[in-house]
Amino acid sequence: MSFDIDIVFRYGPLLLSGLWTTVYVCALASLLAVAAGLAAALLYGLPFRAVKLLCRAYIEIMRGTPILILLFILYYGGPSAGLTLEAETVGIVGLGFYGGGYFAEIFRAGFQSIPPGQIEAARMLGIPRPAIVARIQIPQMLTLIIPPSTNQVIILTKESALLSIITVAELTKNTTQMVNETFAVVEPYVAVALLYWLIIEGIALAGGALERRFSRAS
Amino acid sequence: MDFLGVITSHYNAFLVGAAMTAVVSAVSIALGMILGLWLAFGLISRNRPLRRASAVYRSAWRGTPILVQLLIVFYLLPEIGLDVPPVAAAIIALTMNTAAFQAEIFRGGLLTIPSGQVEAARMLGIRVLRIRVRILIPQMMRLVLPALINETISILKNSSLISVIAVTELMRTSQQVVSVTYRPLETYMIAAVVYLAMNLVLARAGAWFERRHALAAR
Amino acid sequence: MSEEAESGTMEGKPVVLVEGLHKRFGATHVLKGIDLAVEKSQVVCVIGPSGSGKSTLLRCMAFLDRYDEGRVFIENRLLGYRETDGELTRDSERNIDSVRSVIGMVFQHYNLWPHMTALGNVTEALRVVRKLGRREAEHIGMEMLGKVGLNDKAHDHPARLSGGQQQRTAIARALAIRPHVMFFDEPTSALDPELVGEVLQVMQELASEGMTMVVVTHEMGFAAHVADEVVFMDDGEVVERGSPDDIFKRPRSDRLREFLDTWRSRAI
Repeated sequence: MSFDIDIVFRYGPLLLSGLWTTVYVCALASLLAVAAGLAAALLYGLPFRAVKLLCRAYIEIMRGTPILILLFILYYGGPSAGLTLEAETVGIVGLGFYGGGYFAEIFRAGFQSIPPGQIEAARMLGIPRPAIVARIQIPQMLTLIIPPSTNQVIILTKESALLSIITVAELTKNTTQMVNETFAVVEPYVAVALLYWLIIEGIALAGGALERRFSRAS
Repeated sequence: MDFLGVITSHYNAFLVGAAMTAVVSAVSIALGMILGLWLAFGLISRNRPLRRASAVYRSAWRGTPILVQLLIVFYLLPEIGLDVPPVAAAIIALTMNTAAFQAEIFRGGLLTIPSGQVEAARMLGIRVLRIRVRILIPQMMRLVLPALINETISILKNSSLISVIAVTELMRTSQQVVSVTYRPLETYMIAAVVYLAMNLVLARAGAWFERRHALAAR
Repeated sequence: MSEEAESGTMEGKPVVLVEGLHKRFGATHVLKGIDLAVEKSQVVCVIGPSGSGKSTLLRCMAFLDRYDEGRVFIENRLLGYRETDGELTRDSERNIDSVRSVIGMVFQHYNLWPHMTALGNVTEALRVVRKLGRREAEHIGMEMLGKVGLNDKAHDHPARLSGGQQQRTAIARALAIRPHVMFFDEPTSALDPELVGEVLQVMQELASEGMTMVVVTHEMGFAAHVADEVVFMDDGEVVERGSPDDIFKRPRSDRLREFLDTWRSRAI
């Protein structure tokens, strides 16, 4: 087993373009996941049984099914239901709604952490629900939800490697291409592992910085 | 939509696939537990190099996508002269992955056990290994059971990835069924329901254990 | 301060009118047909043992808890429900907010928002509900904090205030929206004894300015001196009501006598 650093450089552009795809797909999917999770957590708090049940079902399905299956249902099953999406779109939507199930639980715990009396005081002053969420609940939840959210974005980024299976030209896919063209195994995989580790350390650092910023504020 | 047709004509295939998924997951979790326990004691060891090495292992296996890990194990084993069947490669990769996550769970559990207990046992002349097996691990296991169930669910979901290296578990079975029936939507949804059912059973079992533990602790 | 006012109705329409109010939590019947009228500038104190339902009554009067039977009118508008042919259906959030907008509420545990300064707490509703600009809102906010004697604490967060200061901030917050009636839900029960006085003093000043008030309280001294009417509740019912003198000096029922005896023996 030897390590040929030259092929890594030769394939540098391919790997970097894969890295870029991974980064922006994950960024968009994370935004979608946060939005879907917040929506589910808010709907879950409404006093309607049917809505609650629907949210519970969404959360349980997302948390109980492999992401690969969800991607296959969207990508291969979608067309027969009249929904034809590009692989990359499937990736963003699939990862986004999948992550949404986990973010919903994070937000739910966050909402539960705020004493109901604070909400009652706001209601008595006539402050509308959206303002209560945006100005009273979320600012106080931040210190609690930032660590698990960071963790969730990291998990989502790792899961994004699966998009290679549905032909999205992201980091893992381009690495596989490199393996197929060079017949080298060690170099590409060591390189890709390091690149993922780099992205993930970056996310962890950013999350830590956010956490410090908000814990100082409160 | 023709769910019934797909199920009735490929009932056995789904069953065999699901069994394979269950077996691979169970074996990986069990082997991962042994490795994870060693690793956990490494993480809290007084021996600095051992602690460092354990931390590096944990960081590497928690910080890279499981798909990349799987591909590395699958392609690298032959490079070092080990020709193992895909199933073995799959179990090795899943085991090494879950060991890192389980080690972190165990470490958290071990930290909650008062150090006085170990000191008392040492004073009585009980050997370290025996203290671990008879005093620490039994107490810690009860504590970490819910987290362990979550890890099992996550391995069960991640086992779908081993379809990529041609292990005929539930995911790959579904792909084979699709290639015959040309009904991807129905087939993958059936697979999703099977995964969901297995995970629900696990989650229920976890909740039951947790309740029992809560009752016992009173 | 108003002199001894007769119990029951006076001329003019009551600011708050409660008719035949019932509330159940599952199988427990917490309120068993409560009637209450609060006239303009009147101070009504509700006393009674813990678990008597007095806090629940106030929460139902604010529709923080849904009542099951009966009616609550705030300035002649039904609160919480819409009535059609004697049938009550839950009102829209917007209408509930509108009827409630004349109520200022003060809670036992202050319920301040910990991430905002005292001034931020007081100005929040002015900014979000009244849509005032920062300058104008802060001007009113400082005026309200001045009223409760907390001008110098305006830029402190609740965690840096004493319990008494927090409760006074909460009173200023409720006053900022210029309510027509103030509801106090055991406002001094969570306070250390030495901090009770400053809060009661603010409340007494409010009463003397003619604010209409409903006060659920354990402070018998406050009820005796400030209330126009005292309502004694036990086991979900109004057992006795009357002037402070009637209630504290000439109790008619055994239950009230027993309650007062217990309270006096504890007070010593």
